[in-house]
Amino acid sequence: MLQTLLPILIFAALAVGAVGAARRIRLWRRGQRSPMGWHRLVRMPKRYLNDLHHIVARDKAMAHTHVATAGGFVAAMALALVVHGFGWRNPILGGLLLLASLGMFVGALAVNRRRLDPPAKLSKGPWQRLSKSLLAYSVGMFLVSLPLVGVAPTTLGGGALALVLTLLVAWGLLEMIVGMGWGGPMKHAFAGSLHLAFHRRPERFDDQHGEPQSKIPHDVHRGSRSTALFPLDLAAPKLGVEKPSDFQWEQLLGFDACVQCGRCQAVCPAYAAGQPLNPKKLIQDMVVGMVGGSDARYAGSAYPGIEVGKHRGAPAEPIVPQLVEAETLWACTTCRACVEECPMMIEHVDAIVDMRRFVTLERGETPEKGAAAIDNLIATDNPGGLDNASRLDWAADLDIPRIQDRPEGVDVLLWLGDGAFDMRNQRTLRSLVKILRAGGVDFAVLGDEERDSGDVARRLGDEATFQRLAERNIATLSRYRFQRIVTADPHSFHVLGREYGAFGGHYTVRHHSTFIAELFDAGRLHVKAAEQRETVTYHDPCYLGRYNGEFAAPRQVLAALGVEFAEMERSGYRSRCCGGGGGAALSDVPGKARIPDMRMEDVRETGASTVAVACPQCTAMLEGVVEPRPQIKDLAEMVAEALIEPASDTASPTATADTREEIPA
Amino acid sequence: MSVRRVDPHAERIRRNRLHPRHHEFARPAWRWTSAAGVTRINPHAVGAIGPNGVKRIDRSGASVEASSAGGAQTSTEPARRPITLDAPSGYLMVVPELAEGRLSDHDRDLLGLARQLAADTDLAVTAVTFQREVAGLEDAGADRRLELADLVDADAYDPESRLAALVTVERELAPLHWIFADDFPGGGDLGRRLGARLAAGDSGDTRARPATRVWQVVDGQTRSRAGDRQDIQRDVPKILIALAECAEPISETRHEARPITLASAASTTAPAPEARSEAGSAGVVDRGRVAVDPQQIPLAQAPFILSAGRGIGDWDGYHHAARVLGASEGASRVAVDDGYMPRARQVGATGTFVTASCYIAVGISGAVQHLQGITKCQRVIAINSDPSCDMVKRADLAIIGDGDAVLAAVCERLGQPRAAQGEPREVQHDAA
Amino acid sequence: MTQPDNVTVGAAVKTVALVSSGRHPVSGRAGRAREDARAVEMGLSLSGGTLTLLHAGDADDAALPEYLGMYHGLSAGAGPGRLDLLPMAPDGDALPALAARLRQSDARLVLTGQRAECGEGSGMLPYLLAETLGWSIATGIAAIEQCDGDHVTVLQALPQGQRRRLEVALPCLLAVDGVAPAPRQSAFGPARRGITDSVATAAPAADPGWAAWQWQPARARPKRLKVVKSTNARDRFKAAAAKSAASGGQVLTDLAPDEAADRLLAYLRSEKVLAPVSDAEGADQ
Repeated sequence: MLQTLLPILIFAALAVGAVGAARRIRLWRRGQRSPMGWHRLVRMPKRYLNDLHHIVARDKAMAHTHVATAGGFVAAMALALVVHGFGWRNPILGGLLLLASLGMFVGALAVNRRRLDPPAKLSKGPWQRLSKSLLAYSVGMFLVSLPLVGVAPTTLGGGALALVLTLLVAWGLLEMIVGMGWGGPMKHAFAGSLHLAFHRRPERFDDQHGEPQSKIPHDVHRGSRSTALFPLDLAAPKLGVEKPSDFQWEQLLGFDACVQCGRCQAVCPAYAAGQPLNPKKLIQDMVVGMVGGSDARYAGSAYPGIEVGKHRGAPAEPIVPQLVEAETLWACTTCRACVEECPMMIEHVDAIVDMRRFVTLERGETPEKGAAAIDNLIATDNPGGLDNASRLDWAADLDIPRIQDRPEGVDVLLWLGDGAFDMRNQRTLRSLVKILRAGGVDFAVLGDEERDSGDVARRLGDEATFQRLAERNIATLSRYRFQRIVTADPHSFHVLGREYGAFGGHYTVRHHSTFIAELFDAGRLHVKAAEQRETVTYHDPCYLGRYNGEFAAPRQVLAALGVEFAEMERSGYRSRCCGGGGGAALSDVPGKARIPDMRMEDVRETGASTVAVACPQCTAMLEGVVEPRPQIKDLAEMVAEALIEPASDTASPTATADTREEIPA
Repeated sequence: MSVRRVDPHAERIRRNRLHPRHHEFARPAWRWTSAAGVTRINPHAVGAIGPNGVKRIDRSGASVEASSAGGAQTSTEPARRPITLDAPSGYLMVVPELAEGRLSDHDRDLLGLARQLAADTDLAVTAVTFQREVAGLEDAGADRRLELADLVDADAYDPESRLAALVTVERELAPLHWIFADDFPGGGDLGRRLGARLAAGDSGDTRARPATRVWQVVDGQTRSRAGDRQDIQRDVPKILIALAECAEPISETRHEARPITLASAASTTAPAPEARSEAGSAGVVDRGRVAVDPQQIPLAQAPFILSAGRGIGDWDGYHHAARVLGASEGASRVAVDDGYMPRARQVGATGTFVTASCYIAVGISGAVQHLQGITKCQRVIAINSDPSCDMVKRADLAIIGDGDAVLAAVCERLGQPRAAQGEPREVQHDAA
Repeated sequence: MTQPDNVTVGAAVKTVALVSSGRHPVSGRAGRAREDARAVEMGLSLSGGTLTLLHAGDADDAALPEYLGMYHGLSAGAGPGRLDLLPMAPDGDALPALAARLRQSDARLVLTGQRAECGEGSGMLPYLLAETLGWSIATGIAAIEQCDGDHVTVLQALPQGQRRRLEVALPCLLAVDGVAPAPRQSAFGPARRGITDSVATAAPAADPGWAAWQWQPARARPKRLKVVKSTNARDRFKAAAAKSAASGGQVLTDLAPDEAADRLLAYLRSEKVLAPVSDAEGADQ
């Protein structure tokens, strides 16, 4: 009986699964089309085994579980197709099939153990069922294949046991094959593998890098380097994403690849602060929108403060606010922690910015302070609405050379950023100028010709204002000659270095931490040992670290200063955001805690008395934490304090960095 | 300035110490006013011999203050020179705002501007008022006063009948200039209406085009602000709608403010108010003031503020008192920093500069920044337990005592005591 | 502040907003004028997408798309914003062209700001228009409460946050005050879709007044000094050096809270901050 039933089951499952898969593909293709090459499919296996596995392997136990389960299943399925489907009852193949199902069984056991008391980040519902289905499939397949190697009587296929086994295998096939096509948990395998092949950011994969032969060990941060937002065509009939079908089809495919593992939820600063954002739920909502229906079947953690089951979506229905509340979009700090962590390499931030673009450009519903900042950017080229001519007021006594006076060109163009208007950040800039002078660097500034880089406008979704600022800045920069740009603002650093390229501005940009590290390497800076050794920790700015992969230079600078260094638990590519990125400080979505307070708690855990920062936004956010707290110093300030200035330079204005203006009470 | 008369005979005797009557004239005056009107002090005659035989000089001014309480008042403010004008060659109309029926500083500036324009001419500066018997027009510089209270209802906002009244004045007296205060919806509105009406009458006459936001008149030309970044300088037009501080108010002369009447107004009896409002219903009709929730008024504009500081222990009681009094809520920086009040309610240099006509500060000691924020408040009341704090010094009325208790008593007096919550409040008091 | 919601007239009363080119107070760049933007906001919440904008001036002014960008968040089916442009040189006289255009259209309610931010900025234009058209005009408008076919009920802003209710007969011009509800954000998409109709007018004459005037960059106004007219140096010195704080206020010490409350209330009543004697007070004593 089994011999006749099994092939029918297998082929029926495959056929039904294929129909489901075709329907799924039609759903994805409702998205915006972009030229695609089927040849990309060949890249998939290597991307799966190499790039994806490296991210999964950050959790070793889970990686092994997945290798056993998924590997076992793929092998068992392929062999079952041959052995049971086509009836090639080879004992060797049978033995392999047994091994594969055994491996899958071991993996499934581990999955089940994890599912006994699942961590909060995991979704339940069908995902709980999947663990049982895995067991059913592996056990059923193992037992029905036993006769192949002669361990059990071939007459097993009679009576009640055969029926039970058939049901087990049928359950397994239903979940694994039919569910894959029809939107069960296993669709992640199907959608995920296609997502890897057609990913919108191929630069995230090793196969797109020309130097696989270079002997650098696999760089876990490399995946993050494709971080520039995609430019928006401002002449398009609709700007940004209003409905699920406005996404690129690759994005819809990507959403469907989500395994609801909740790693994004675990690292999201807004979620931790109780703001109404959960990256996992957001991706699932996108899937709900793509398929159509209500979010009531979602079985994971909700957006904090927003009940599950009240929102609905459809491919041709607006997303905000029927499916996702605007607050959810504005809570995101664009820190990319979720993207960094996602084993399926889903691009959450792209999706959020796409939706923000519609809200800002078409609906004009940017949160109040964000809208004011955009208006100011339009009117005065800086978000504070200040007179752009006062950009250099803080440096009146420093006699900083202007690039306008240096037609022959300079080595370094110092990009000040909007921190130049902020009294706290002016201390950092003064320190940086002191360092550059001590290092004998030939530098100049743009002065009042410098405009905001457009970072805030772009993250708030106002691509029009961003492109206007970018074009003007690029036009300004094209008039002067310089070797490279150095800036103390990671946001400017990212935008100038990575995002202006799409508009024709290609520059060599260095963050000041990198540049100072280079000066140390070249022996051009000399520092004295600190008088009392204090413990220092370092907070990685998202736009320097995750966005641009610069983790080493700031630590190198701290090492050169000879301070006692204590690393925070969440540091490097897993650093927690300060809460100030992506315009989140402007949209100011209320939550239960403040993100900078949580980050300061991370700092306190190290016992450090000082936290070194390298970003004006981080400085501002962390200094907003009420005292007593560790003090906050920019790397440049720490270097400038320890600097031994060359004797010849004593005549230069050495206004100490801490001529602190009294802030009125 | 009074004219000093010198008695040459007495002067001679005073100089001649051998004169037999010298003592009668040469009083041991240590301080006198010289012929030029300047106070002179003889340092040798100052002071008194103390008990130890040492000469003591009191330079604190206390004794002078005390003695000059009555008489010196006139010496600090020299007597004004009375000016009369019997046969004016023309008129120069000033329409003061008269908010609350009184001359404001802005109104005095307008009259000062009119005097500046009328200098060296026989033009009569005429105050056109819609109220009766406005006080202080004499000292502000009005030669004439023209009360239009018969033609319009002074209490209602009825710009169209006011305009009609002014047009009557224009027809009858043909003033050389009209001066209004550039304030919406008062003189700024009325002046522009008159300008538009007159411009429509004789088109092409650019002199009829009012100069608005006038802030200075020099050399026969007005300087008026155009937009935010430009000034227009032009010949003085017929109508000037002027900003505050457009000219110095007068201080040395006193004018007669003689009432004049309109011939036509005397002949035609004023229509009854009802009939007027009927006639006015064609355009703009005043439907009265609207009750505004004090908490909804932006702090900078609120007329009555009850402000709380560190001295408040019972915050519910404070909010209740603000409701009962109908006051907008304000706060010191400390109260905001401690999280009792939202940041938008902070008064002071780092918060909001307020312009309340009455400002009650409860439990606020008065940091410099806070006092800077309330400089424009007309009446300041302090309730504080510390009699030596700066807020008490600033206040027009200071009550030394516990703020919570006083506010509770005020609510009780107004018949709206807070629902009895004795126990928790007592506990809070102890904690505070 | 107290903008009532749900006051809409749709297309029943044809509404037009006069808009001018604004100048940013810091940079001087062209953009929405603060009061005109509030007038447009008021018009949009009153009439929705049927509001028409009217501008006399340069077609390339950066402010115009910004006004058109406010046409969002309206009822479904509201089309793009419409702006009628009367091309005019900067020194032209906008009045005849605007008056002719308004006479042509069947507009009954015209909203505008009180004063332009560039050009003469005298705030005379609404008055001259009303005079030319024979319409009523009200100024300092903070909110529209109600609008039927014949009258519009508005709240007029008074100093210190107070409001006065006015009933204005249509057709009328309303000059909107800066305390009116803040304008909605100007969005790029609607701005791009907005339709500008250039309406040919008889070549507007140059403004007759301007020729005789001198234009200068705005000068800082002199700060008024407190001049003490006194004949003696000591008083002048004292007046200059005195602390203004010591105004000789009344200080009441050692009062029971009840007494203090009485004194406080008596003071507030004498200063007319509170109404003379409330009923409850009368019953109390």
